Amino acid sequence: MDGERLAQKAFLLAAVLSASVTVLLLAFMVILGLPLFQGGLVFRILTAPWLPGRQLFGIWPMIVGTLAIAALALAVAFPLSLGVSSLIAVVAPGRIARLVKSAVAFMTGIPTVVYGFVGVFLLVPLVRETFARGSGLCVLTAGLVLGILVAPTMILFFSDALARVPRSDRIAAEALGATPAQVLIYVLIPGAWRGIVTGLVLAAGRAVGDTLLALMLAGNAAQVPGGVLDSARTLTAHIALVIASDFDSLEFKTLFACGILLYAFTAAATLAVRRLAGKEGPAR
Amino acid sequence: MKQPPLDAVVRLASWGSTLLLLSLVATVIGFLAFKGAGSFSLELVFGDTPPLEALLLRRPVFGGLLPAIVGTVSLVVLAISLAVPLGLAAGIYMAEYGRGRIQQALGLFFDILAGVPSIVVGLFGFSVAVFLHRHFGGRIYPCLLISALSLAFLVLPYLIRTTQNALEALPEAVRLTAPALGATRLQNIRFVLLPRALPGILSGVILAIGRCAEDTAVIMLTGVVASAGLPRSLFSAYEALPFYIYYISSQYRDPAELATGYAAALILLAICAMLFAAAALIRQRLGARSHQRL
Amino acid sequence: MKTGLWFKAAAVVIMVGLAALPASADSLAAFKGQKGEVRISGGTAHIPVMEEAAKRIRTANPDVQISIAGGGSGVGIKQAGEGLVDIGNSGRKPTDEEVSKYGLKVFRWALDGVGIVVHPDNPVQSLGKDRLKQIYAGTIDNWKALGGPDKAINLYTRDEASGTRDVFWSKALDKGEIHARANVVPSNGAMKTAVANDPYAIGYVSVGHIDATVAPVALDGVVPTIETVKSGAYPVSRGLFSLTKGEPQGLARWFIDYLFSPAGHEIIADKGFIPVD
Repeated sequence: MDGERLAQKAFLLAAVLSASVTVLLLAFMVILGLPLFQGGLVFRILTAPWLPGRQLFGIWPMIVGTLAIAALALAVAFPLSLGVSSLIAVVAPGRIARLVKSAVAFMTGIPTVVYGFVGVFLLVPLVRETFARGSGLCVLTAGLVLGILVAPTMILFFSDALARVPRSDRIAAEALGATPAQVLIYVLIPGAWRGIVTGLVLAAGRAVGDTLLALMLAGNAAQVPGGVLDSARTLTAHIALVIASDFDSLEFKTLFACGILLYAFTAAATLAVRRLAGKEGPAR
Repeated sequence: MKQPPLDAVVRLASWGSTLLLLSLVATVIGFLAFKGAGSFSLELVFGDTPPLEALLLRRPVFGGLLPAIVGTVSLVVLAISLAVPLGLAAGIYMAEYGRGRIQQALGLFFDILAGVPSIVVGLFGFSVAVFLHRHFGGRIYPCLLISALSLAFLVLPYLIRTTQNALEALPEAVRLTAPALGATRLQNIRFVLLPRALPGILSGVILAIGRCAEDTAVIMLTGVVASAGLPRSLFSAYEALPFYIYYISSQYRDPAELATGYAAALILLAICAMLFAAAALIRQRLGARSHQRL
Repeated sequence: MKTGLWFKAAAVVIMVGLAALPASADSLAAFKGQKGEVRISGGTAHIPVMEEAAKRIRTANPDVQISIAGGGSGVGIKQAGEGLVDIGNSGRKPTDEEVSKYGLKVFRWALDGVGIVVHPDNPVQSLGKDRLKQIYAGTIDNWKALGGPDKAINLYTRDEASGTRDVFWSKALDKGEIHARANVVPSNGAMKTAVANDPYAIGYVSVGHIDATVAPVALDGVVPTIETVKSGAYPVSRGLFSLTKGEPQGLARWFIDYLFSPAGHEIIADKGFIPVD
């Protein structure tokens, strides 16, 4: 059966080819960014400020900017998502839950650029007028919109995890006279912690990896933000802004440091998720 | 009967966050609809060019969305047709052939790839374009093909996983019947498993289309431009809807141009919503059928 | 002899007429029957002129494709030098090093200025150079200190690839500091939009881009307008350049020729710049 063997080889080839893209991405960035790894330059780049006028091309401000905006997004989205998934799992199961769940699933399909566009014309002026400080292009604005962007990821994971808690646990608690809220807090949420952490980690990966919202809403100042109303630049936005520089310059090489950092962060998140989910890997 | 306070708090919190989230989404959509609906007209798409002339490629369109719409459609078609054969084949391998360590390792790679931020894929695409330009006679630029290739990489792991999941979800009975009747493994895959898994795969493909259509970060590094007219070849620069929306948001010149931005956002949202609905419908059918089987 | 002279004179007249014809009567004629693509990127001040020129050329001949991207002057110079585009635009003069490294050919087709702009509602519409420097260095950070409202000053600047930034930085700030707090926008269009939408903003933009949505700020008493740039009274002026790697060929050549034609001059003037030969 030669056709059989050929087909099997072809399928294997496709799988290996696809997997090699993962390696290729990293390898390309490492090779092109190679000069960075000589003479401890990489440490200076990771810790220095970005002052091109003084030939300082550090990406520390962008690292802080990324973490600040992502952390704010998660801080906004986490309680919101927990609330929504509790509604789906416990408070209003049945038709309402199904309706809410489809709405949340639909949210995953809303283009990022659409959120960004509405953010620019609705939230930026609002933040500027409300706080009467700064231009409205800041960590807060970007973090809030990013929170809405990543919330569906969390909600879908949380509600699945809550639903997967064994029915017997739930029934046992109810038999002991626990109210639905007590069941949620003492049985379901502890029982679903793996799924909840998984959702959180995945959302963190998405928040760190998003380019457009920060680029459109955070102001892009290459400084370490001192507060949520300060302008900031993320690693992703930095790549989009500096891509235009000379390919051979140190300035351009730092992009690969940004790229490798982003790659490493999201790869670590993926590994964490796989570990949490056990051997079968996350269902995406 | 008086409810315990804990229940009240939980109720309030969960209803509160749900209503908040839904009203935020409603605000986003309502705001766009309110601002953008007024500017829908033939002129929005075709500018001051007569639509028929534009569609017959007799006259170029200026100031209309046609080049961006056509650009996005060509980009999606190209990216998907690059990614689907590879993704399908790899997914079949993962579900039907892969075993043990190798399969696990491959799965790890796909998961990592799925998590890589799109701007990193864009940076890769850009670097590849520059590399090819330098080493192959300067004929390759950031262009439609480079963007499509990068987007294909972006959705590849997603396609592999949906194909794999769709195949693995098939009941044992379906899986074993044909081989019992003497079908080979390949015949079983081709004539039984794939057709049965098709709805699941298809809904995955549709969602991948949505991702290609909405992605902005990859294309802004790999060849999309502010103004190019209709794309004429794989190697030309092009316009695209999401980039147009981004571009207009920061540099519209007058309220009329801004209005086209709102309209473009609304169009893109509608496209993505339709794709989403299509995928959901297929899934629902699939769900209904598997229920029947039980 | 006499007839010979007449003959020569007539020949000269005809030749001059022929030479002038493509430029004056119809400079679009060069594109007739042509096919292919012109790739343009770089300076964002140039974009309105590029788009209008592209529109007219493509209306006359739809088979010519013209793609226009921004990115800033740095991008225009680098990408033209690397051969990634046919024409790179720059709002600053490329350095001698850049010209010799890439073998660039430089075409200066307009005179422009870089004007300071604020929101139209801002009462502060005149600044001394020292004050401007202090504002951008961050030592003056409230409009109140300048006779405006008690609001923080929102600084806007451009990314490092920008020629507008380069000219502003060297000629208006005398290479003084630009505070890292400043919001960074990617183009002249984006700068104008940002300032038009932020009542407490200060930014700088190509004079050709200044319109009623923003208010120009007089620098040492001179308001940035096309007239003051032209007369030399406004000091922060610059040329708008298009660059090609070596002598431009084919479509790129004709595109640049078109910018220098009467029709091109009309477009340039219409978009708020001063055409130069």
